[in-house]
Parts: sequence; structure tokens; C-alpha cells
Amino acid sequence: MTTTPADVESTVKDFLTSIDKLPEGFTADTSLYADGAELDSLETAELSATLEDVLGSDPYSAGEMPETLAQIQAFYAAASA
Amino acid sequence: MFELLDRVAGVEPDRTGVAVHGGESSYGELRDDARRIAARLLADGVTRLAVVDHEAPVIVPLLAGASLVGVEVCQYPPAEPDEVRDLLARLDHDVLVTDRADLAGLAATTLSVADLTDHDLAPVDGPPPTPRPHLILTTGTTGAPRGVRHDWSRLLAGIERVRPAPEERWLLAFGLHQFAGMQVLLHTFAAGATLVAPAPRRPIEGLAAMRELGVTHASATPTYWRFLLAQARSDGLGLPPLRQVTLGGEAIPAPLLPELREAFPTAAVSQVYASSEFGSTGSMRDGRAGLSTDVLDRGDDAPVDMRIVDGELWIRSRTGMLGYHGEPPVDADGWRATGDLVEVEGDRILFKGRSSEVINVGGVKVHPLPIEERVGAVDGVDMARVYGRPNAMTGAVVALEVVAAPGVDHDALKQALRAACADLAPAARPRSIRFVDEIMTTGSKIVRRTQG
Repeated sequence: MTTTPADVESTVKDFLTSIDKLPEGFTADTSLYADGAELDSLETAELSATLEDVLGSDPYSAGEMPETLAQIQAFYAAASA
Repeated sequence: MFELLDRVAGVEPDRTGVAVHGGESSYGELRDDARRIAARLLADGVTRLAVVDHEAPVIVPLLAGASLVGVEVCQYPPAEPDEVRDLLARLDHDVLVTDRADLAGLAATTLSVADLTDHDLAPVDGPPPTPRPHLILTTGTTGAPRGVRHDWSRLLAGIERVRPAPEERWLLAFGLHQFAGMQVLLHTFAAGATLVAPAPRRPIEGLAAMRELGVTHASATPTYWRFLLAQARSDGLGLPPLRQVTLGGEAIPAPLLPELREAFPTAAVSQVYASSEFGSTGSMRDGRAGLSTDVLDRGDDAPVDMRIVDGELWIRSRTGMLGYHGEPPVDADGWRATGDLVEVEGDRILFKGRSSEVINVGGVKVHPLPIEERVGAVDGVDMARVYGRPNAMTGAVVALEVVAAPGVDHDALKQALRAACADLAPAARPRSIRFVDEIMTTGSKIVRRTQG
């Protein structure tokens, strides 16, 4: 199964919505941390688990530290290339 | 403890001992406050006390003053009144030092910080008595912390080899109620250096302190460092040229060490292995993950010795605790299991996890059973299992598996489960909730160990 950018976007947005941290005007280049969604370490850990549950893998477990939705989408694009 | 402040204050009283965003305290000021606090404690006949305050400019002279007159101090973690009441009862504390109005009346005697310093009593000079007890609480999010008895003479023995380095400015990234925080404090003052103590002690405040308060050396958990690096990348303001980066408290993810070396090219990278029970074991300065096998089988004369028994690291420490509060003393020459599962690869001892069911979430220990009991009481839950799920960010997160009652809407139940756990400490809240058909068991017992 191929993970599309839209799949990743909906997963990330759903997650941010579930924890009340979806910033107004959120885009693929909005920071997930400071000056953006302001995720802390545990919320990032939860995002990592959510991505793995929904999409079967996640960039954090692969040793990456994506800072934006675009970087998460790039991880899945590279994985399916 | 007092003598560390006094040693510097005697030759350079104006040297900065503690720096916070709001100002600085000199070694001379800290020493003088300590002597006044000692006088008040002595006059009031206090022998043991608890303190709920987390500002270094308050805690440092309190610890030093208490050590000067042999008063045992126990710093509680940030806690709500009910938790403080429980700790006071369990640890037999009659005296509480705090400026928090919501804690008034919980102890038989409550003293404000001003009570201890603003008086006309003659300051105490010393020398310090023997013994000089100190009590440190074990960490524990949903489990009950235990009081670990130490003596300042043992704690100070661990820093005898620290060389003077007054130019160093050490970041305090741990709470001073934690053993790791105490290690940073003792090392800093043994070096005659400056303790930079932002509050609260999160990575974002630590990064700000590095930039604004001239931090040169820092010790923190791997999780802390990962987040500090992410914060720095996110705001694009760069990182200061640290000279020392130290890690401890949890296993180190493999990519982190090279990331730190790249982010702080002028810094030496080292790691420490310590606990409130067995104390400090020294540090590894070669920048590699794990411990050198040189720490094993050092012999009877070594103050700290280690061995591996059935894949678990055991330790004998003569610089560690005296025992637990309310329990008989431990044998200083006795071997104790650390609970850390290890493997030897080449000349390295690598950490593989904990032997117990306790979940280590970014250095915070979480007990699964109370969470299981809580979610098990939610309507629509037939059975639940709480366990540690490995996670690249925090080592593990609390994971929850639920067998739902027939016909229950899973989305609504998930919301109810989140609500039921909302008042737990952040590290103890389930970060992964899955619905399953059956719960994993072994020998008719729920398997709660962290799942690989």
C-alpha cells in the first residue's frame, strides 16, 4: 500500500486536532514545535506512535526528527520510492 | 555541601554561584544565607525537614545551611497538596519549608523561606557535625516514591577529584529533588563554577539559558537533548559553543551522539551512570554509547564495582545510599541488582532496557498497574493492559490495549479513556490506545513489560 501525502496530512491534522494543537493556518511548512504546533516531547512521542499505527512506519523510529508536515511527507515518499 | 560554598566565598565572595534569569547570587551571599538558615534551624531544634520550593537561589543555601548543622533535608517534587500530605505522613516529616499558601497547615510546623533567613540570631560557623544526613526521593509518577538516605560525606566523596574551574557555567536541567540534579550542583560548586538554573527546567528554558546566561557546560537526559536540538533547529537562532555535553538517566538513542557532536563541535561529549540508590559511578568521556567493560570486576578495593549477572547489571557502591527511610541500613559491601538489562558488545556494555515492569518514559518511571485499574473502571471496558511501548523520542510511552464490551462505540470509548487519564502526570497518560480482541497473558498474568 502506498502512503500518499494526503494520507499523511490527514493523519497529522487529525492527531493535532485530537490534542487541541492544530494551529490556525497550519500548512505543510508550519513548525511542529516552537512557534508552530508547539508539540512537547510526549506529544511528539504520541505522534510517532500514531503515525506507526495508521501508516505502518514513522520517521522518528527511523532516527529522523522531522520538524514539519512536509518533512514527514518526504519520509513516506522516500520510503515508497 | 556548606564547605563547598565557604571554600570559594573565603577567597572570592563576589564570584557568582547561582545565575537565574532574574539575577545572580554570589558565593558569599549563598554562604551567608546558609549560616543564617543554620542558626534558625539550630535555634528551633529542627532535625529533619521537607521543602517544597524549586528555585535554586532558595534551595542551595537551605541545603548548605542544613548540612552545616546536621539537619536532614528532603526536597519534594512539584506536587499538589494531597500528594504533599501523603509524603509528609509517609516520611514522618513534621516541618515543612514552603512559601506556597495552598500547603499551609499540612505539617505540624510550616516555615517560610523568610522565616529562615530574616532574623537576628548569630550565624553558625561550623565545623559541620557527623553524621550529616540527606534524603532524596526516588522518582515515580504513579508509584509511591521512597526516601533514599544519604550522608553528605559520601556525596562529597564523589567529587573530590573535581578540579577548580571558576569559568565554567553549568546548566541545571534536572530538578534539585533528583539525584542527577544534586550531582550537577555538587560538581558545579566543587569546581567553584556557576550554576545556571532556569525555571521551569524544560528544554525551551534550557536553550534560552544557554543563549542568554552564558552556559558552557550542560548535563541532561537524551530526551532533553533531542528536544533542545529540535527547538534550536526550529527557531533557527543557533546554538552556543558549549564545552561539555553530558548525558544520563536513560539509554541513549544511537543517532543522538553524532548529532550532538555536530551541533556542539567544541564540546566534549560524555555520559554518566548513576541513581539515587547506588550513587554516581563516574563518567564515560569517550563519546561512545554505553559503559566501558573496564568498570567490571574492579576488585574489593574499588569504591564502586560492577558485574553482569544473567544479563542484568549489578553494582557494589560505597558512595551510594545508606538505606531507605524507615528501613534498616544496607550493606555497603553488598551487591545490588540495578534493574538494567545489558549486553556486552566488544569492549562496551550496552543498555537494553529495564528488568521490571516499570515504564521509563523519558527518564520518568511510570507504574502500569494504577493506570490499568483506572481505565478498567471506565464504562465499556471489559479488560485493559498497560505496558511500555518502545518509542524513539522518549524511550517508551505508556500504551493501552483495551478489550471493549460488545456494541461499544470505539471512538466514544477512546475519548472516555483519555478523559479518565487526563489528570495523570503527562508521562503517565496513555499515548497509544488500541482495541484488541484479547489481552496478552502469561501464566494467567497480564504481561505488562515493555513490548519490543
